[in-house]
Amino acid sequence: MNEEQFKAIFELTGYRQQDFSVCLGCKICASVCTVNDLSPSVNPQDILLSLFLGHEVNSDHALVHYCTNCYRCTNACPWGIRIPEVIRALRESLALESTFERAFKGSLKIWGRVYEPYIFMKTGVFLLKEGYLKYMPKWTEYMSFHLPHGVRRLSSQGGPSDSKGRL
Amino acid sequence: MDYAYYPGCSLTGSARRLDKGVRKVFRLLGHTLKDIPDWNCCGAFEYGDRKELTRLSGENLRKAKGMAREVIAPCPACSKNLKEANGDGDFRVYNPLDLFSKDFLSGLTIKRDLKGQVFTPYYGCVLLRPAETAIPNTSVMEEFVMNLGADVAGEKVKDRCCGGNRFFINKWATEKLSRMILEKSKGPILVFCPLCHMALTTFSGNERVVYFTDLILYVAGEEGTL
Repeated sequence: MNEEQFKAIFELTGYRQQDFSVCLGCKICASVCTVNDLSPSVNPQDILLSLFLGHEVNSDHALVHYCTNCYRCTNACPWGIRIPEVIRALRESLALESTFERAFKGSLKIWGRVYEPYIFMKTGVFLLKEGYLKYMPKWTEYMSFHLPHGVRRLSSQGGPSDSKGRL
Repeated sequence: MDYAYYPGCSLTGSARRLDKGVRKVFRLLGHTLKDIPDWNCCGAFEYGDRKELTRLSGENLRKAKGMAREVIAPCPACSKNLKEANGDGDFRVYNPLDLFSKDFLSGLTIKRDLKGQVFTPYYGCVLLRPAETAIPNTSVMEEFVMNLGADVAGEKVKDRCCGGNRFFINKWATEKLSRMILEKSKGPILVFCPLCHMALTTFSGNERVVYFTDLILYVAGEEGTL
């Protein structure tokens, strides 16, 4: 993690480095974290501590991989720190976007909305390789083909844009 | 009453059943939902940039100006993002579950009861957390089914995470989390979130996953909803 990536986390979340000084180290976030069911000894607090101290956060941290945005930590935290949003910013600053996330954002750039057939097409190879197609019989009620939404491309003020303000 | 309506992306595709259900329940209650014109995606949980999320939902609220003061957004991710972008602003943003109290639903003609049946009301994450955007009554679905004579199960897992958010990234994680909820369920699982519906349905065996709106329509005498 370079300095720019470190700074980006604060810019993206709107938190300042000193905001994490209030963390008491009570680890209640760790005790309620959903990721406990997926990985041993998960501790969101050590990410906050690293960021406060200006230390590098390891991109292999279980939360970077598995945080489900469930906000159990935020609800339990005496300060209501929005840890899932810190993790999302971490993922973004470390460019750890998944195929799905790239397709999602791609769809927004074109239509301003998530157009599911486009997502399906863009993630097709991934879905095939990872064995998702076996669930198709369960998905009949979700499947339908519809034309892209009749929305115009949004203006750079209105719609999702990249950092340079382009669509 | 007139509401501005924000369907959101999944309700125009994979979750069109929820869209149909919400529209019908509001129609039966004598309310009008007016679609926000040219709405754009709320960004769900896919952006690390808080400002970007606020901007996307702010844009939708701007498009709702002059339509109604009350905005309805059925998808929990959309209602959370819209509520956060609005803050203490011009609108009152609701998830339908914010409104579905006994009083609000009292206008429905009840044609069926649920005596002898068991349901598992399941809320998941974003309807209950964070506190600022959560629904005010966290037992709204339980109260509805119990008033009609049914029992509820699975209280301990109603606020657990199904992992739906990671479904197209680490499906084994979603499978493990969803199975923990399915195992504790009894009878149909009542949900309001399109992601929870998909995750739980995908990993279900004999369990049925039902949108809460479909249950409301069933007791109101609609056919083919449950």
